[in-house]
Amino acid sequence: MSGLAITRLTVRFGGLTAVRDVGFTAAPGRILGLIGPNGAGKSTLLNCISGITRPSAGSIRLDGTELAGLSMHRIAARGIGRVFQHPELVAGFTALDTLRAGCHRDLHYGLLAELFALPAARRQEAAARHRALAALDAIGLAADADRDMALLPYGHRKLVDLARSLMAAPRFLLLDEPVAGLNDAEIDRLADMLRELRDVRGLGIVLVEHNMALVARLCDEVVVLDAGRVIAHDVPQAVLRDRAVMAAYLGEAPADA
Amino acid sequence: MIGNLILGGLAAGSLYALVGIALAIVIRVTDIPNFAQGEMAMVSTFVAYSLLDRYGLGWWAAVALALGFAVLQGVAVQILVIRPLIGGPVLSAVIATLGLNIVLNSIAGMIWGHETHIFPSPLGDAPPVFVAGVPLPLDSVANIGVALAVILGVTLLLRYSWAGLALRATSQDAVMARLVGIPIGRSFALAWGLGGLAGGIAGVLVAPALFLDTNMMGALLIKGFAGGVLGGLSSLWGVFGGCLVLGVLENLVGAYLSPSFGDALTFIVLIAVLTIRPEGLLGRVRMRKV
Amino acid sequence: MTGRRLLLPLAAALLALPWGVGGYVTYLLTLTFIYALVAIGMNLLTGLAGQISLGHAAFFAIGAYATGLLTQRGLLPFPLALLAAALLSTGIGALAALPALRLRNLYLAIATLGFGTVVQKALFEWRGLTGGGAGLELAPPHIAGLVLNNGRALYYVALAVLALGLWCAGNVARMRTGRAMLMLRDSEIAAGTLGIGIARFRVAAFALSTFYAAIAGGLYAYLVRYINPESFGLGLSISFLGMVVVGGLGSRAGPVLGAVFFVLLPEAFRGIKDAPGLVFGLALVLAMIFLPRGLAGIAPRSWRLT
Repeated sequence: MSGLAITRLTVRFGGLTAVRDVGFTAAPGRILGLIGPNGAGKSTLLNCISGITRPSAGSIRLDGTELAGLSMHRIAARGIGRVFQHPELVAGFTALDTLRAGCHRDLHYGLLAELFALPAARRQEAAARHRALAALDAIGLAADADRDMALLPYGHRKLVDLARSLMAAPRFLLLDEPVAGLNDAEIDRLADMLRELRDVRGLGIVLVEHNMALVARLCDEVVVLDAGRVIAHDVPQAVLRDRAVMAAYLGEAPADA
Repeated sequence: MIGNLILGGLAAGSLYALVGIALAIVIRVTDIPNFAQGEMAMVSTFVAYSLLDRYGLGWWAAVALALGFAVLQGVAVQILVIRPLIGGPVLSAVIATLGLNIVLNSIAGMIWGHETHIFPSPLGDAPPVFVAGVPLPLDSVANIGVALAVILGVTLLLRYSWAGLALRATSQDAVMARLVGIPIGRSFALAWGLGGLAGGIAGVLVAPALFLDTNMMGALLIKGFAGGVLGGLSSLWGVFGGCLVLGVLENLVGAYLSPSFGDALTFIVLIAVLTIRPEGLLGRVRMRKV
Repeated sequence: MTGRRLLLPLAAALLALPWGVGGYVTYLLTLTFIYALVAIGMNLLTGLAGQISLGHAAFFAIGAYATGLLTQRGLLPFPLALLAAALLSTGIGALAALPALRLRNLYLAIATLGFGTVVQKALFEWRGLTGGGAGLELAPPHIAGLVLNNGRALYYVALAVLALGLWCAGNVARMRTGRAMLMLRDSEIAAGTLGIGIARFRVAAFALSTFYAAIAGGLYAYLVRYINPESFGLGLSISFLGMVVVGGLGSRAGPVLGAVFFVLLPEAFRGIKDAPGLVFGLALVLAMIFLPRGLAGIAPRSWRLT
């Protein structure tokens, strides 16, 4: 029962069914691509797994434990990380602040220790700062540590955002179009990072992406959604040759490819 | 006895409802709780008072002009204060309405003073009407009638007119409304104008029942909100029903339990609704936009 | 680090000030410290967590009455009474606001608006305890056998509490809770997916802010030594919020600047009844439109909290 198993998941908004009877399992140490035309229900699916949207029916299990119906922060606490398509900005946050916010779950001091800056709080904060700086260094953005996030180039911002969700040491990572808006060099760097996460840390990754070249070279398997249903699930080479997939895409060209 | 208490409660509830409707229209279209709504109504009531008292206009003429002023005031507030804040956090706009609350109260104090004035009723001392042997004070009946007429009018306007369609579209999704060519700026201004009108009507109905002074709308604003939350701010009929229920409950509790408990009831109802059914009795939950 | 270099001379000046100025100015300064304390708490709630309360006059009032009654009836010495009153106020506040804290911002504003009115009403009606509309007169407080019967003594107490309050708020702002509150303000969803419990940190922000308000209320009771329900209405709640807004939401110096502005205003327009209100209200509106960072927006960055 290891992995992130989605079974017969359905999401309805009023009369509209955005996700219908979807099922697949994402395994640790593998990258699963989730593709499909705009409006196919990819982001809704990710939102469901993260607990932002409640599913109408079906189950989402992590190593056998039900996640559906839990609140966002409890799902995060079980090891589901999430990266949004557009990094959410917090006014006044520097890159370092952003990464320290990612350490939230590793800080265990109480409110009193915080109010009076007791040694326990200072120590843990120092450790968090250290980790955050190391993480910035690892993505080659050490120089940006004290820069305001809003002033960073978009590509850097997305890298910091990814690094932030890794601070919580998730076991599965949900990525929504991580390379949209990045240049080729940045895309290569990001692809390397994802590969390393998979191979070295054994992370399971669910990747929503419109860039088919990236999907082809990065993913171990691909699930294709169309109008809320799974229409194909195979290795990338097979999926990208699939007729039904072609048909789903031909009607509507991928917007950001 | 109980019949009169209920009628009195319905009459008071109708006044809350007028304020509640004003608040709900603005919240629905622009997502901003207007904490200046009460003071705006107070100012327009004072305008009516000046027209009556200083310029000797007849009651209907003075009130009609004052209601025109109330609409313009709403539009002006939207254009001058709220429009520059659109796109920022809702918090900023809310704070601006709080500032406006103080500004209007101070200005009214400077012009008209803080003492109480007597505001006449067009009904004068008309004798009560008798329904099934129960004497019904005419002004209570009038309050209920006017509130019903206003909510009916607003509902019809929203449902059948172009302006209403634009308003509804804007309240559903402002970005989409803009894309299909609805002038959302005009919709916002219209919502504030309509809110101003409903509030202004509440003002000229409250003033004869109580006294006219600069603080007369404060309590009404809170009750309009409370009744609105009770019935559901997303539905105009919900607001109306919630405010009526609140008015009647207050009267009954005040008479049978204790008079001071009647006021505390507002808050108890508010907390209870927020705990049990935050969308209100008749309201619907709005989908979260992600 | 201009802020730090200024700190020492500023502290020296504040310590010496009551010996150089008259009793009335000492009173005004003490009042400023007290309002600044409330504003610091409001800043945690509004500036950091992005929530609005329109009922903080009630927490201020509960702090004032509870501190006054506990000491006056000989139940607790002044410092302990202050603390007990603040805990009481915070407890009541957390209970009352809990349902609204789980909902959209709008509902906390409405619920606290109702709460503030009811508390004021209760203070009027519960005559046996509060003296009702006649108000409550208080004898000077004692601290460790010392009677604080002159304005200077209370000035120093208020100054010390303010310094502590500022320091603690600064700590919160730059540590876990502060970051969590900022994340909640700007993106609830991003916060949630990072494992930040939304309800928990909203309650923390609210509770902290009510604690500050209640401590300030306790000090206020002994500054004026006569409290009346009349003073704790919606107007005061809006003023507390206004101080933070005018001073600068989310900044360290903002609440203090806002309190100074609010106390000085009536002094500048003495005798013109509605002028302070008009200017204060206008300042609120204009700050939102033209100066969203408030007065502190003009200050150097090192003064800012975030």
